[in-house]
Amino acid sequence: MPLMIISATRVITSLQQEPWMNVCVGDIIKLENNQFVAADLLLLSSSEPHGLCYIETAELDGETNMKVRQAIPVTSELGHISKLAKFDGEVICEPPNNKLDKFSGTLYWKDSKFALSNQNMLLRGCVLRNTEWCFGLVIFAGPDTKLMQNSGRTKFKRTSIDRLMNTLVLWIFGFLVCMGVILAIGNAIWEHEVGTHFQVYLPWDEAVDSAFFSGFLSFWSYIIILNTVVPISLYVRWREGGPSARLRWGPQYPGVPQPDLPLPCSVEVIRLGHSYFINWDKKMFCVKRQTPAEARTTTLNEELGQVEYIFSDKTGTLTQNIMVFNKCSIHGHSYGDMFDLLGHKAELGERPEPIDFSFNPLADNKFVFWDPSLLEAVKTGDPHTHEFFRLLSLCHTVMSEEKDEGELYYKAQSPDEGALVTAARNFGFVFRSRTPKTITVQELGSAITYQLLAILDFNNIRKRMSVIVRNPEGKIRLYCKGADTILLDRLHPSTHELLSATTDHLNEYAGEGLRTLVLAYKDLDEEYYEEWAVRRLQASLAQDSREDRLASVYEEVENDMMLLGATAIEDKLQQGVPETIALLTLANIKIWVLTGDKQETAVNIGYSCKMLTDDMTEVFIVTGHTVLEVREELRKAREKMLDASRTVVNGFPCQEQLSTSKLTSVLEAVAGEYALVINGHSLAHALEADMELEFLETACACKAVICCRVTPLQKAQVVELVKKYKKAVTLAIGDGANDVSMIKTAHIGVGISGQEGIQAVLASDYAFSQFKFLQRLLLVHGRWSYLRMCKFLCYFFYKNFAFTMVHFWFGFFCGFSAQTVYDQYFITLYNIVYTSLPVLAMGVFDQDVPEQRSMEYPKLYEPGQLNLLFNKREFFICIAQGIYTSVLMFFIPYGVFAEATRDDGTQLADYQSFAVTVATSLVIVVSVQIGLDTGYWTAINHFFIWGSLAVYFAILFAMHSNGLFDMFPNQFCFVGNAQNTLAQPAVWLTIVLTTVVCILPVVAFRFLKLSLKPDLSDTVRYTQLVRKKQKAQHRCLRRVGRTGSRRSGYAFSHQEGFGELIMSGKNMRLSSLALSGFTTRSSSSWIESLRRKKSDSAGSPSGTSDKPLKG
Amino acid sequence: MELAYRTKRTAMQKTSQSSPSRRPDNTAYKQQQLPACRVQLTASRVLLCFFATGLSCLAMGIVLLLSAKGIQEVEINYTETCADCAALRENADNFDKECSCSIPFNIPQAMQGDVYMFYKLYGFYQNLYQYVLSRSNIQLVGTDVKHTDGCDPFATLNGTPIAPCGAIANSMFNDTIILSYNFNSSEDIKVPMLNQGIAWWTDKYVKFQNPSFNDLPSAFEGTVKPPSWSQPAYELDADTPENNGFTNDAFIVWMRTAAFPTFKKLYRRLHRTQHFTEGLPAGSYSLHITYNFPVTKFHGEKSVVLSTLTWSGGSSLFLGLAYTVTGAVTWLAFFSMMAVYVTMEKRI
Repeated sequence: MPLMIISATRVITSLQQEPWMNVCVGDIIKLENNQFVAADLLLLSSSEPHGLCYIETAELDGETNMKVRQAIPVTSELGHISKLAKFDGEVICEPPNNKLDKFSGTLYWKDSKFALSNQNMLLRGCVLRNTEWCFGLVIFAGPDTKLMQNSGRTKFKRTSIDRLMNTLVLWIFGFLVCMGVILAIGNAIWEHEVGTHFQVYLPWDEAVDSAFFSGFLSFWSYIIILNTVVPISLYVRWREGGPSARLRWGPQYPGVPQPDLPLPCSVEVIRLGHSYFINWDKKMFCVKRQTPAEARTTTLNEELGQVEYIFSDKTGTLTQNIMVFNKCSIHGHSYGDMFDLLGHKAELGERPEPIDFSFNPLADNKFVFWDPSLLEAVKTGDPHTHEFFRLLSLCHTVMSEEKDEGELYYKAQSPDEGALVTAARNFGFVFRSRTPKTITVQELGSAITYQLLAILDFNNIRKRMSVIVRNPEGKIRLYCKGADTILLDRLHPSTHELLSATTDHLNEYAGEGLRTLVLAYKDLDEEYYEEWAVRRLQASLAQDSREDRLASVYEEVENDMMLLGATAIEDKLQQGVPETIALLTLANIKIWVLTGDKQETAVNIGYSCKMLTDDMTEVFIVTGHTVLEVREELRKAREKMLDASRTVVNGFPCQEQLSTSKLTSVLEAVAGEYALVINGHSLAHALEADMELEFLETACACKAVICCRVTPLQKAQVVELVKKYKKAVTLAIGDGANDVSMIKTAHIGVGISGQEGIQAVLASDYAFSQFKFLQRLLLVHGRWSYLRMCKFLCYFFYKNFAFTMVHFWFGFFCGFSAQTVYDQYFITLYNIVYTSLPVLAMGVFDQDVPEQRSMEYPKLYEPGQLNLLFNKREFFICIAQGIYTSVLMFFIPYGVFAEATRDDGTQLADYQSFAVTVATSLVIVVSVQIGLDTGYWTAINHFFIWGSLAVYFAILFAMHSNGLFDMFPNQFCFVGNAQNTLAQPAVWLTIVLTTVVCILPVVAFRFLKLSLKPDLSDTVRYTQLVRKKQKAQHRCLRRVGRTGSRRSGYAFSHQEGFGELIMSGKNMRLSSLALSGFTTRSSSSWIESLRRKKSDSAGSPSGTSDKPLKG
Repeated sequence: MELAYRTKRTAMQKTSQSSPSRRPDNTAYKQQQLPACRVQLTASRVLLCFFATGLSCLAMGIVLLLSAKGIQEVEINYTETCADCAALRENADNFDKECSCSIPFNIPQAMQGDVYMFYKLYGFYQNLYQYVLSRSNIQLVGTDVKHTDGCDPFATLNGTPIAPCGAIANSMFNDTIILSYNFNSSEDIKVPMLNQGIAWWTDKYVKFQNPSFNDLPSAFEGTVKPPSWSQPAYELDADTPENNGFTNDAFIVWMRTAAFPTFKKLYRRLHRTQHFTEGLPAGSYSLHITYNFPVTKFHGEKSVVLSTLTWSGGSSLFLGLAYTVTGAVTWLAFFSMMAVYVTMEKRI
């Protein structure tokens, strides 16, 4: 295995400001609080004691809690530049890789070795928190950083329409060759039968020695003439010196016509227009952050109208990563309910005044609470309420900092805990400071110092934490907070009545998607505590199974507790998230949440976003650690779904038998609503080649899928899996650096901008600052883009076929000599002047239904997903219409002209008059057709359509004018044609007849489709009846999810180990310590245990502990 | 230095002023709220449209059919009749041998009004790509009589430019057709015909001009006549000196190439004098044809057409029939759509 050698090479004399791009391996850089880590660093020293340093990794893995990193002891003293300058260590480490949780290396310094692990590393993408500054040695920089290694490769994205177009272009090309062959054979036969005898008047070229060769040349000539059907600028241009002057565009035509308006060009123009509309949309402008939506690519717009799967990040995308103390239940009384019935997510403006906390000088201004009765309870001295807040102010692992008097600052390792302690602070129970042995709380103005006897730390199995404190009166009390499922079983039987009331409240909170914790306390005897403390010490000193022993000791004391109440914390969702998800679900878009966060929090958010509801038949949770376990769990889930659908089927008498052989189709049509929650470690197995299909089938049968604890690369793999097998358009939305890989992988990547990081935005195709804008992006912009693009393409093919196929029919009348029907200038200008702007205007501005309607009827989005508006069938219909038009366009004038003469007796059927007649009727027919296709006539459409017609006639008359002919007689040989031909009534009668015959069948067809088989957009346009019905449905949907729920709302983004950290006093500044009271206890094992426990919790135990969730 | 500083500052002020907010403009255009009318295919509109279209097409069809009925047309195909001459012409060596034939025929009903005489060719491809290109408009407009670019393969003859050059000019129809009216059984009157005013005004006076010289022969000096021609361009019309050269009407008519292999071109107009002020009276006529133009070699045919015209020109029945059929079908569609619509409405 290759190793990297990094040595601190640069001679540091002073600190310099450098941009990120200049950071090199071996540099030592200084980071300050709240800064992004610029590269993968080896932490050398920090402002905190013992070289500790706190980071937030939400950007990296989506976890919301704070993590602690520590410098190795030898370097932690390098706090000063002068010392750093002398640092000349050498690091040998693993080569760059994408494993976020592993690092191995060795530091060689001062002739000794030091092992390095992930615990010493600061990875790029993390944010430094609660740490004033730190120094780090750059190990990996730029693309070598773990973050960038995880971000996947940038792929060139193309829309499905682009890909379809590629196929179609090939087909058309084949069609072109077929036509060429037919005409070439025709030419060979004609030359053989007629042409040879016609040589008196038109001898063959010297090069042409046989009819066969003439046919061969004719083939190439026809390929050139007819290439206008091929919608790419693939253009064969035969220059002088070609094999024969017989080929078209030989030297005779000085200005070689370039008839093909590059279709890609106009497609790009339309997409660009749509992108601008997205950028300009004021309804996608975030006032708070002053950021408009941004279409960063202009090539994917129509695919926004075809999205079937959305992969969403959680933290920062669905949620704001802000925890709010929202409600609480104290001694059977619930506080925090609003007076209004709007629900807890009502806008700020609609609320009554929040509580005034001005009585409390230490209150946090940012904290807001709405129920004044709670404050009343505190003020009137309700003992339960006091105890409740006392618990909140004591039972936690928050560190406080008081820079100036009264300016408290809390360093919480999880935002949940921060919210709880802040709530207590504002209600008059201010946690002020702590030492390893004491906690000082300002209780309603008077400072009280509690003696901290023990912290019974949090972990994923226990799902609770307790503190044991001795109050100034000397009474020992245990305060505990934790998951209701755990805690409610450990209460004293006497609290039974209170328990039921509190449970009701808990269910209510959980139903609203709040994260709940139950609070309880227990008084301890002095003797009992002493005896227990001894046992605890023994357990903690035990060599083997220390953990289990400790747990049982903890369990013993956390029993028969008195219930105090419960808290409900709102993990604040981004604005309008549940509504958006509901709407998108109605639009038949499946939403998968992929998050690096813990299962509990992810599921909790699933409920609060209404992705998961209590109406769901079942939520499958896959947490297996081995391949077999995962396979078994997936199989069980599928079987359950199948069983359910079978019973439903059997419930009806005349149902056809289900064939189990077609598992996929059965699963597609599964009855009932299911959801799947899968853990990262299970996902790793599920994504293996032999199981991925099973996983996909199961997941796709579910209404909602949540993948938690996934790495950035796994996110991309999930997206890739769906892309690979489902042939559906996927959209990934996220805000952090950990979402970059999936944003790049998905067909469409959306970045949430305006947050701190911009990596996601930089990798994205579309960026805006609120998740809720997604509905507008998809249902309005995407839908319109798709509609417009499809209409544009249909019309484009139609008009080109109508235009080009006329040459084919004419071939049968001109000896297959590759004569064009139209004047060369018409061929050149037809696509770029006469017909381009109206269809461009339609492609840019057309709307079938107003934007409000597409929000009201999300079903309108379905045609895009099913690819109904432009597919191979539609393409053939367009082609058929084009060919039909070309037939009429040729044969009606032919029929008229064959025998007719002008009204002054001169010849009518001359080539030039025929050309002008056909060209004019073509321009009129396609203009009428675009008029029919345009559903939304703005002034611009009017201007372009009428303008195009006017321009056609203007150019026609100009080209055929005497003046131009006088100047260039060889180029403008159609002189006088327009005024002579268009003065003939017979010509106009022909044009009118052609138009009527070409257009009326289209109108009739559309009318019949409208009356016999109207699609939803037609219905929406025409009937108000359906509208009301749908609206009612819509309202119903919003009410869902407010019903009571029997599930736990417990979710806590917490990590164990911090209790021990506090008790050891390692993380406390010497200045803030009462030195006398500080006795060095045990060892520095806390960091070891912190590290080990973390890997444990990521590893094994969660499987069993997650059960109570539901299941 | 001072100046540079100041400009920098104003530039900064400008940027700060120009981007006070990133809020998109609230204009109808940018918000896609442009005032517009949403076009709907409502039943009443569609049905009304079909009804009206059907009605007008039917009416137009009937008018056209009636007026086409009023046209009198006589066609005399002389390919077979003059088979001897045709056989003679198949051999190019006999180009200098005269050959003519007479074809008697009868006009049962008097042809009222203006009567036009056409020659009609079958299977003559005047629309071949190479053929159509083989001409020099610069030469024909009189700018440079020796300009023969693009006239291949009839550009020059032994190095001397051909005037008029090109395949079109070379293949000019050169039969002479004289129509005689058998006034009494004994007396034949040559029907007076005009050989001018049979081309477009723009062709005669813009597109085709003779080189500006005092006399035509000297204008054409240094050029030779096309190989198939019996006389040079300046001797096309012996009777009317100004109808010669490139501005000869018959030449101009020929040079306006036909769109289809079967076509008729105007040859003469009836000069309405003497017996013919009302048109061609009924009776027996004869055509005297000097047969020069070979067609049998490529299986072509020739005929002479005498015809009157109406307001819409010499249209055939096709236009009238097409309109009538379209009208009828549109009405049919109208009724069936009406039926569909009514049943659907009832169901709802």
